[in-house]
Amino acid sequence: MNTHSIRFRLTVWNAGLLAGLIVLFGVAVYLGLSHYLEWTLRETLSQQAKQIGETWLGEVGVSGESYVSEEINEHLSPKVNGRFVRVTRADGSVLFLSDEPENKRFDPTRVPPLKAQISQASLRKEHLTQASVLMIFALPFNAKNAGKYVIEVGASNHEIERVLHGLLLAIGISLPAIVAIAIAGGYLLMRRALKPVDEITQSAERISSRNLSERLPVAQTGDELERLSVGLNRMITRLDESFQHINRFSADASHELRTPLTILRGELEAAAQQSQITPELRETLGSALEETERLSRIVESLMAISRLDAGEARVEHTHFDLGELTSSTTEQMRLLAEDKDIALYCEADERVGVEGDRARLKQVIVNLVDNAIKYTPPGGLVGVKVFATNGRALLEVIDNGVGIPGEALPHIFERFYRVDKARSREMGGAGLGLSITKAIVTAHGGQVRAESVEGRGSQFLVDLPIAGKLSN
Amino acid sequence: MRLLLIEDEEKVARFIVKGLTAERYAVDVASDGDKGLELAQTYSYDLIILDLMLPGMSGTEVLRHVRRRNERVPVLVLTARDALTDKVQHFEIGADDYLTKPFAFAELLVRVKALLRRGAVSRANILRVADLEIDRLSQQVRRGGQKVELTGKEYALLEYLMTNAGRVLSRTMIIEHVWDLSFDGATNIIDVYVRHLRNKIDEPFERKLIRTVRGVGYTIGREEGL
Repeated sequence: MNTHSIRFRLTVWNAGLLAGLIVLFGVAVYLGLSHYLEWTLRETLSQQAKQIGETWLGEVGVSGESYVSEEINEHLSPKVNGRFVRVTRADGSVLFLSDEPENKRFDPTRVPPLKAQISQASLRKEHLTQASVLMIFALPFNAKNAGKYVIEVGASNHEIERVLHGLLLAIGISLPAIVAIAIAGGYLLMRRALKPVDEITQSAERISSRNLSERLPVAQTGDELERLSVGLNRMITRLDESFQHINRFSADASHELRTPLTILRGELEAAAQQSQITPELRETLGSALEETERLSRIVESLMAISRLDAGEARVEHTHFDLGELTSSTTEQMRLLAEDKDIALYCEADERVGVEGDRARLKQVIVNLVDNAIKYTPPGGLVGVKVFATNGRALLEVIDNGVGIPGEALPHIFERFYRVDKARSREMGGAGLGLSITKAIVTAHGGQVRAESVEGRGSQFLVDLPIAGKLSN
Repeated sequence: MRLLLIEDEEKVARFIVKGLTAERYAVDVASDGDKGLELAQTYSYDLIILDLMLPGMSGTEVLRHVRRRNERVPVLVLTARDALTDKVQHFEIGADDYLTKPFAFAELLVRVKALLRRGAVSRANILRVADLEIDRLSQQVRRGGQKVELTGKEYALLEYLMTNAGRVLSRTMIIEHVWDLSFDGATNIIDVYVRHLRNKIDEPFERKLIRTVRGVGYTIGREEGL
């Protein structure tokens, strides 16, 4: 999973925010509920304490202390209800102490006696044991003609704890579940929302200088993504226009150069035809003709490149065997190698089918093999290989010649680039051979790469989409 | 033989006319499409050389009109564009051959001659230049009565030179004809082959038959002139 993707980050942020909010909400509910429960308990306890005081203890002077104890046991039944009830006289002696409740939550005898007389009603917590905490409401009471008492009514806070514990449990279980659902749902929603982005990306990847007439799909959603694709499409339109402009210029320029070149060549040839001219003049005219031819070749090549770049040149579209084409072409060039005493090896797998312009691809082979022979000294080796791998057809041309300096390597496919100015001109090149090679390969949906160690040799690798193994 | 040249570039027309006249052809020139079509429909020409980029009616239109009247006259198209689409399209309309500017006049001449004799010439089995002879049936080569062994490509090159003996063949023509490479690269493969061929048929003899014409190409035979 790509942790840098918008989808991932937004999902994580959303889930984090949601989890934080739920925790905050849980804390608020927990505090509110615990406060409410304690308040309710205090109300109940204080009411019972008042009941004890006003109903029974108020009459203690008349009906006696044992009556009070009986009434408390009978009406409040602290044993059954799990209540702690204690009535203490002014001298600290205990008038009434409830029994241990049936649920045995606490032991009433362990509640420490009151240390001093209290003058105001109060609520306190007694920690009897680790597990048993008692909430005790103490109420001072003046009985008619019978002196002062303190009434204490208490209850284990176990009930409160239980409710709060249940709440914690509910939050603890539901939080991860809710967050998990939010993550999954958010992730799916984001994927739906971002799907157009994927489509835009894929379409944009497909568009290169050769298919600038294509446009990105525009979803009519009126959202940011529609604006993005519309904006990108406008940019592609502008690129397309400037590319067309450049290509039209190259084509026009080449075209305009041809006519004067034709005239120049024709006139020179006609002049050289004259039988009465001196050998020196014939030599001069011949030299001028050679240069005219070179100029024509450059114009030719430039036009070829601009047309290939414009995607016009793939008219001949056949399915053929690259291996067969390579071995036959290499065979045709064998003499060039033999002439320089270079060993030329060709190891071409057959039935490596590719689709495209056979003549153009033949030119690629000729250019690469011709280069390898040119830049390999006598006694060297040139190897040509064709094979299929991973759905690609590969053509490899290796030599152990002079190689290409590291700083020149990134530029060798540029137009008019020469590694060694003096040397390559002497060999008649214009620095366009590799540009044409690249333009042809690119027009066929392939790639060409070069690797080289200066003084050790070079390797050129052409990588074309395979068009299936030829059946025959 | 009467030829019609439809070409608006005056200078191009001039050297073509000059060259063809020297080869004893009668050449009429039209400098635009309308005039060219008028001439083509008025007279019966043996061959029309047609430039595509013309003022007024375009070369393509002229070709269409000529072919609509079902004229069987051979048409050689000249163009400053060499897009393959153009080539295919014009062969479909009915051009017989196609030459891209700039071209060597020698090449134009070879194509003109080829178009004019199309179908009419029985190709001789034995070709001779001085004391060099080749037998096209057995593919045997003899110089001064002695048998010369050639490789397949060397033979193809020699045969092409000999069928056009006395005429200069450009490297473009040779590479297209002998190597079926449809491009004009910087490769010097032709020069290497010619050298090998010379070693075999010229080296041992005093009289050299294959000549280099600088800036144009190679020829075999006649020594006078170029």
